[in-house]
Amino acid sequence: MKPKLLIGVFSIVLFTSLLMYNFGNSISTYVNFEQAADRTNSHVVGKWDNTKESGFSRETMQFSFHMEDEDGNVRRVVYPRPKPNNFEQATQLVVIGSMRNNVFYADEMLMKCPSKYNENPDFEPAETAGM
Amino acid sequence: MIAQIGNLFLSGALAVSIAGLILYALSAIREDKKLETYANWIWMTKGLFVLISSGALIYLIMTHQFQYYYVWNYTSLDLETQYLFSAFYGGQEGSFMLWVLCGFLVGAGLIRWTRKPYRAPVMFVMMLTQVFLLSMVVGWDLGFTKIGASPFRTIAQEMPNAPFIQANPDFVPADGSGLNDLLKSPWMMIHPPIIFVGFAMMTVPFAFAISSLWTKTYHEWIRPALPWTLAANLSLLTAIFLGGYWAYETLSFGGYWAWDPVENASLVPWLIGTAGIHAMIIQRMSARAHKASLFFAILAYMAVIYQTFLTRSGVLAEQSVHSFVDLGLYGQLLLFILVITLLGIGFYLFRYKEIPSVDKESKILSKEFMTFTGSILLFILGFIIIIGTSSPILGRLFVDNPTPPEIQFYNDWSMPLAIIMAIATVIGQYLFWQKHTWESLAEKMIFPLIITSIATVISIVFGEVRNLYYMVFIFAGWFAVIGNGAVLLSLLRKNPKLVGGTVTHIGFGALLLGIIASSVYTEPLLDQQTTRYNARIAAGDVFDEEGFPVTQPVEMFELELNRPKLVNEKYMVTYEGFEVSDSPRPGQQTYRIKFEPIDGGRTFYMDPVVYPMMTTSSMNNIDWSVDVHVRTGWLSDIYLYVAGSQYVADRNEELENQRVRDELPEALAEEERQSIEIHQGETIEAGPFSFTFVQFTPASEEAVPENTQIGVRAQIRVEHRPSGNAYEVEPLFAVYTEDGRSYTYSPPLSIDRWNMDVYFSSIFPESDAIEITVEGLDEEFEEDWVLIVAERKPYVSVVWLGTFLLMAGFSISILRHWGREKAAQE
Repeated sequence: MKPKLLIGVFSIVLFTSLLMYNFGNSISTYVNFEQAADRTNSHVVGKWDNTKESGFSRETMQFSFHMEDEDGNVRRVVYPRPKPNNFEQATQLVVIGSMRNNVFYADEMLMKCPSKYNENPDFEPAETAGM
Repeated sequence: MIAQIGNLFLSGALAVSIAGLILYALSAIREDKKLETYANWIWMTKGLFVLISSGALIYLIMTHQFQYYYVWNYTSLDLETQYLFSAFYGGQEGSFMLWVLCGFLVGAGLIRWTRKPYRAPVMFVMMLTQVFLLSMVVGWDLGFTKIGASPFRTIAQEMPNAPFIQANPDFVPADGSGLNDLLKSPWMMIHPPIIFVGFAMMTVPFAFAISSLWTKTYHEWIRPALPWTLAANLSLLTAIFLGGYWAYETLSFGGYWAWDPVENASLVPWLIGTAGIHAMIIQRMSARAHKASLFFAILAYMAVIYQTFLTRSGVLAEQSVHSFVDLGLYGQLLLFILVITLLGIGFYLFRYKEIPSVDKESKILSKEFMTFTGSILLFILGFIIIIGTSSPILGRLFVDNPTPPEIQFYNDWSMPLAIIMAIATVIGQYLFWQKHTWESLAEKMIFPLIITSIATVISIVFGEVRNLYYMVFIFAGWFAVIGNGAVLLSLLRKNPKLVGGTVTHIGFGALLLGIIASSVYTEPLLDQQTTRYNARIAAGDVFDEEGFPVTQPVEMFELELNRPKLVNEKYMVTYEGFEVSDSPRPGQQTYRIKFEPIDGGRTFYMDPVVYPMMTTSSMNNIDWSVDVHVRTGWLSDIYLYVAGSQYVADRNEELENQRVRDELPEALAEEERQSIEIHQGETIEAGPFSFTFVQFTPASEEAVPENTQIGVRAQIRVEHRPSGNAYEVEPLFAVYTEDGRSYTYSPPLSIDRWNMDVYFSSIFPESDAIEITVEGLDEEFEEDWVLIVAERKPYVSVVWLGTFLLMAGFSISILRHWGREKAAQE
């Protein structure tokens, strides 16, 4: 009975440490654009800066826009796919990729899900809401 | 008035629930039948109160009373009736009410059907969960703290500091902010009720487990609990399926599953519930595994509450893109999970020594051991997913401000587990119905193994599988289908009522096969030009404007009106135009894309849609959204959407010009110089003018520069259609060399009457087309193009088939266990 218990405990400990080790390696930390310049692959959280130009180019087949990170740095972001479906509605964007020459090349982009539980942050008063 | 009634009844429901909780507790402790009857009446009263309150909320939504924040936030005047109704549970508060209602119905069923010794403690636990859920929506302000957020609060209560509220406290918005267009889908209407039915039913095994610990009767509780657990799992599975199907059909991320926290939130309780079902089945058959079935019954409900906590408390909001509205329920949700944990795990540990256990261990080759293995594997998978989903909390052990784990984390761990599970299902099923030694089992396995090997080889050859890991995975999937299929055949001959478990295991195998085929072997559909470009990218030959190598392949291609392109050397694809209509959404365009298989298959059309998002578009800006068109087939799906089009670009440009004109009224239009590609014989229109490329004509020697290699003229007919006036011009295009370098020469030809210059600016020998450039044209060439993103996804149908088989298996088992439970009562 004793050795079996030992093997059991040992394998549970081994499994859990392996899992946690792998888990620790597969997560990373969110950074801002300035920190991203020194890294090869980064996650940056921010908001779409809709005052600057954005759009899809038919020549390069890329979507480019400006994003303001949580510390207020604004950079151009290039995304090699069409504009995602819920881009404008996203209250938050996460771009995953790397920074080169002050331009962020996103391999992936995540938008806050268009969930029913989302709070709608823009409240329009009636004078304009009816228009 | 209606809102006050609704609010009052909600508060009343919570108040009577607390009274009912005390009564059920007393009744359970004193075993007092009379108290229990009173408490049952309270249960019904509470249900009635919540129904009245829900009716009030639905009334407010239906009558568009936008002074209420909930009504304003989730509905608008133009919303169709069915979506107005579903807006009742569209928000966080309403979804809690729906959960309470589902719990009430389940409780009513329990009052009717539960056996005597368990009824009071079971109902006590049910009432406890209802008290917590109701407390999320009562909106009591106790001065020092607030309890819950009422769906009946007004905008003035929601945002008292907003300037328009300070100016006019009785302010009522003219229209609501409306429902997100992506959620206007029948799938999304039925998804929440099904998931909350599942959550509510998952409370039942938990309640029975607690009652069993309370009454110290460890054997009998699983008999009534088993059908409820099966039903809860069926609901969750259906809800997961609907969510996945909606994501596949509506969102353009290209799949049905993305390991995202919200999806995981319903998957983990399902996995642990299924682990519980396995343990309960052992306990029912062999009177062992009491500890495991209690543990999993408790854990499954804890998983429900924990995932609710993760997704609704705002914990994920900081870290993940999947943020949910933070109603300030963090404390309450935390208390909920703590109480459930303490009650469940605490009670379990307290009684642990008394729970019967069998000293003699099972042999490895026994149904008990194998079923228990299944249970543990499911639990491990659930545990891994919980670890991943908890990254906002657990990740802090490693880094500050952690991101969610990469998708790879989930795939790396779930794939080997799935392989082991698939093989274990077959051995388990063989042992389940018959005792075996290693020899007799091996003998039984020969035939299924042969068939499996043949099927695997065929899949590998035809699917061009090169990866050894995937080969093993495919083998495991086929083995689960074929091995369990053999068991199914022999069961059908003996007793078809018993096939539930076998059918679910076949479904599991099919699911694995469908998942690997549709996710790993999805191929993008691309034209030849893009394919060549991607090959250059792969070779590292493409550089961007700043000189860096481009690494991302292009995953879309452009189609021009009526110009077919060969795609994946399989289809001739032609864009045949679009229609704009105002139904069901104003300004939506339906594009028509023709697919002609070149091997002679049947021609078919894809009709993707692009539409303006009504909830977020304004006069100055249109947010465009797409409806993916999925053509489902037995062998493969074609998944296609329009990522951009001339029409959309024009609308955006009009708005942009409008804005520029508004800002700079005196801005002058620049001299326009435009180019267009035109094929021989083709006519292209620009406003009132049309340009036809009639033919090439030879250029005389005098007209071209010295050392000319190519010199050719194009005969172009320019017509002003309203007047019928037409000119034919023959501009020249020449390539000549000077000092060893090549130059092009294309002098303009003027049409003085229209003040227009025409150039022959380039030539495309491979496509028999030329480029003409025109100066002095106010209108733009009416090009018509679309950008297409398309994929071929093999065997998505098998994913759905596997899911349906799982559902069917669960349903058969529910009927069987429920039937037996009813028979035992009578």
